[in-house]
This record gives sequence, C-alpha cells and structure tokens, in this order.
Amino acid sequence: MATLNDSFLADLDELSDNEANLVENNEEDEDMEEDVDGDLADIEALNYDDLDSVSKLQNTQRYTDIMQKVEDALEKGSETSDKGIVLEDDPEYQLIVDCNALSVDIENEIVIVHNFIRDKYRLKFPELESLVHHPIDYARVVKKIGNEMDLTLVDLEGLLPSAIIMVISVTASTTSGKPLPEDVLQKTLDACDRALALDSAKKKVLDFVESRMGYIAPNLSAIVGSAVAAKLMGTAGGLTALAKMPACNVQLLGAKKKNLAGFSTATSQFRVGYLEQTEIFQSSPPSLRMRACRLLAAKSTLAARVDSTRGDPTGKNGRSFRDEILKKIEKWQEPPPAKQPKPLPVPDSEPKKKRGGRRLRKMKERYAITDMRKLANRMQFGVPEESSLGIHIKSKKIYYKSLVH
Amino acid sequence: MEYLLPTLRKKQEVDAIIRDTIDKVLVLRFGRSSDAVCLQLDDILYKSARDVSKFATVALVDIDSDEIQIYLKYFDITLIPSVVFFFNAHHMKMDSGSADHTKWVGKFQRKQDFVDVVEAIYRGAMKGKLIVSCPLPPERIPKFELLYKDV
Repeated sequence: MATLNDSFLADLDELSDNEANLVENNEEDEDMEEDVDGDLADIEALNYDDLDSVSKLQNTQRYTDIMQKVEDALEKGSETSDKGIVLEDDPEYQLIVDCNALSVDIENEIVIVHNFIRDKYRLKFPELESLVHHPIDYARVVKKIGNEMDLTLVDLEGLLPSAIIMVISVTASTTSGKPLPEDVLQKTLDACDRALALDSAKKKVLDFVESRMGYIAPNLSAIVGSAVAAKLMGTAGGLTALAKMPACNVQLLGAKKKNLAGFSTATSQFRVGYLEQTEIFQSSPPSLRMRACRLLAAKSTLAARVDSTRGDPTGKNGRSFRDEILKKIEKWQEPPPAKQPKPLPVPDSEPKKKRGGRRLRKMKERYAITDMRKLANRMQFGVPEESSLGIHIKSKKIYYKSLVH
Repeated sequence: MEYLLPTLRKKQEVDAIIRDTIDKVLVLRFGRSSDAVCLQLDDILYKSARDVSKFATVALVDIDSDEIQIYLKYFDITLIPSVVFFFNAHHMKMDSGSADHTKWVGKFQRKQDFVDVVEAIYRGAMKGKLIVSCPLPPERIPKFELLYKDV
C-alpha cells in the first residue's frame, strides 16, 4: 500500500507519464490491493485483475433487494392497483422509481465491465473494440472467440450482421495480438458472463416496468406503446427526468452509434432512438419518417410531462395526442389540390415595369438625337425652313412667329 | 349549349345583364343552338369564357324566343350567329374590314382569335373609344354579303 502511494506521489512530483507506472502495476500478478483511496480507486480499478473490485453492483444489497421484488412482482402478474392511492405513496410506484434508477446503474456497470473486458482483450485482438461498439455484442463475441487465433473456426452467425463478421475475420488474420495467458483469459470470460448477466437483469427490470407502464404513465404509453415507454423511462432515469428533457433529446434516446466499417454515411439511417420501434413510426411511409419522428418526440414529451404531474390518470390526453398525430400524418399524405387554370389578367392592369439605371441610359443613347441633328433642326426666327419635301410641308414654327406678332 | 353558358330568352334578362355588367365587356351571341356554325362558335365561347372572365362576360341569346325579336330588329340581325359587344351599357363597334361594324357575324377560327378580339374591345373601351379596329388578319375574318332590300 505504502509503495503504491509513494510511487504515485513520486509520479506527481516528477510530472512524468503515468502510463509507465500503470503498466508496471498491471504486470504484478495476483496483487489484490485493496483500494482505500476513493480518488485513486477509479484509475486503479481499471487496471485490476480482479473483476469483483471493478464491478460491485451485483454484490450490493440494493441490487439483490430490488431484483427480488421485481421477480415477485412478475410472478404475481398484473394485479388491479387501487387508483385511489396517490401515486407517490404507492409502494409499487416506489419500486418502479427504484427500478428506473437501478436500470441506469446497471447500464453504467455494463460500461465499466465492458471497459474491463476491452482492456484485457486488447492484447489479443485490439481492433475488435473499434469494430463492435455495443458492449453486450462485444462481450458475446469475446466469449465466442475465446483464445482462438484462427477465426475461420469460430462461428459468429447470429451475433452480428454478416458484413461486420466479414470485416472481423479479415482483421483477425492480420491482427497484431497474441493469445492470452490462461488466467487472464479466465478473468475475461468471467467478465463477459458478468456483463451478460447484468444485461439479462436489466431486461427483467425493463419487462417489469413495461407491465406496469399503463398504470404509471398512461398518456405516454397511449402514444408510443408500453414497451417503448418503459425503455424511454429507463434510459432517461425516471418519469420526472424524462419530463424535464427537451423533445429533441427524447427523439435521440437509445439511438445506436453508427458502425461505419468503411461504408459511406450517405445511406446511413437517420438519428432515431427508441421511437423507431413505435407502431406509428413503423406504419408511416419512409419519406415521412423524419417528420413523423419529430412529431412523435414532441407529443410524447408533452405526455410525459402530463404523466409526471399525474394530471390525467385516465390516459385520455395520450389518446387524443395519438389521434392528432395519426391525423397529421394522414394530412401529409394527401395529394395537393388540383390546379385550376388561371383566367387571363385584365389588359393594361399591370403597368409595365420601367427599368432604369446606367445600362438602360447607355442603350438609349444609341437612338437619341445627336448634337449634329439638333443643330440641323435649329431654325432662325422669321426665316422659313427649307424643307426637303418642298413647299407642301408647313412647318409649325411659322405659326409661332405669327402668334408672337 | 344552354347548360354551359347563361342563355337569355326574355327581354328583361337581356336588359338586366346589359345594365349589370360593369367595367367588363359583355359578349352576346345571337343564334340558335341547333345551327352547326352556332355550335362551333358556342364551343369556342365556352372554352374561353373562364380565361377572359376577369374582363369579359359571355352570354347566349336565343333568337327563337318571342321577346328577343325586338332586339333582332334593333341590331338588324339577319345572319346567325351574330356577336354583339357591349361595355358599360355602350354598344361597341368593331371595324373588321367587313360591311357591318356593329356586330361580328360568323364563327371564330381559334380560341385565341376570340380572346384577341375581346382584348381589343376592352382596350378601346378603357380608352373611351366606341369603335375599335379588329386585330385579326383578314384571312381569319368570316366573309358575308349584305343584301340591301329595298334600298
């Protein structure tokens, strides 16, 4: 313990790179160093060989309590809950709230375990973490591959899309990794099991919340359905948290990170989260999907807000929102009204647009009367004009002369 | 064609429509709906009625009705179809190179011809003229002979 502390303090003094020291620590086999220092615990935890120091959730009392209660409730089935009781006092509501918090915790725990697995498996197959983003998929793949060097012997069908499997097999053939020692492999596999167990626990919790969703958030489940509502609540971390989110965030709850693997983003799916699984979204035509998703997110946020304040326990609001959404989508699909031929405009009603400016002036100059012509037209007072047309043309200027007299 | 364009059979209807069409050219076609040339003219009138609707109104007058005979005598209508133009209750004359300026006798060859004639009448009327010259080339103006009786 002292040595560890001293070594870290020495690091700080020297301001040297921590990496060297941490790697050093990792190589110390079977060192079960208890972490007393809260601050350094996280950094150390990532390097520990022992899974239990990393992932503590499953051992906590709270976890086991809630899981027990959930299982009991699931066995009891859906009981008719008394509508008279104010929501806050109802023990089931409290359980739901705890479940939500727990599902968020489980999520975080899964991330920690995923980091652990990733660090351990880096020696074997470093490129895998960039190819498979999802933690649970990663855990499954690691479990399947194990210590195998030749990926043609490993069957990854059903775990991943075939494009990714292909990329993985190709990368594996050129990987710079080495097979893991037996004990590290064992720890990694344990961690994978732990991750999968956490995932199944989370699923159970979400199932339970979903079955009670009609009671907790009737309006929200009227719009998006109880499964999606449960998922939204779980990811947001409770009904009040969901209600506080702006609609744009609700739209993106549960959105999967894109796995490019060399494919262009031009054809990629748009950014939709759990709302993608709702019935309304699935039944809307593909061209209107983005608009429908935005509409859904907005209305479901409103419904969540209504539910969080228990403003409408019957769910009437939710159903009216749903009708509104369906009507709007119908309206978007209507063909535009037929064009009637316009009657002709009244003649001379629209005055001609006279243009001005330098360009027009220059154009007019070409046809203007030149100075020469002006001088030629000039007449003397009292002297009749000699017109080339002869005596038949009377010039008006002669009349002016007579008027002056 | 009675069901497509308003058809007038009574004297008061004709009076009313002439009085009530304000600031628009009134086109009255005198003819029979059984006559072939009349029908062709009516077809063109119907198709262009909507297009000129902002500055013209088109109506048909049935010459077989009793009360309309007065108008036939007044406008001296003998050949059908005859089209008479009015603007603000003034009778508009058009010089189309034929003998009779007070009306248009015969059919129009194209819809555009009719629209051009109505536009010429409108422009002239807005300027305050009571007679305008026809914008159509002579090939498209129907020729007819006026036989003077007892003159």
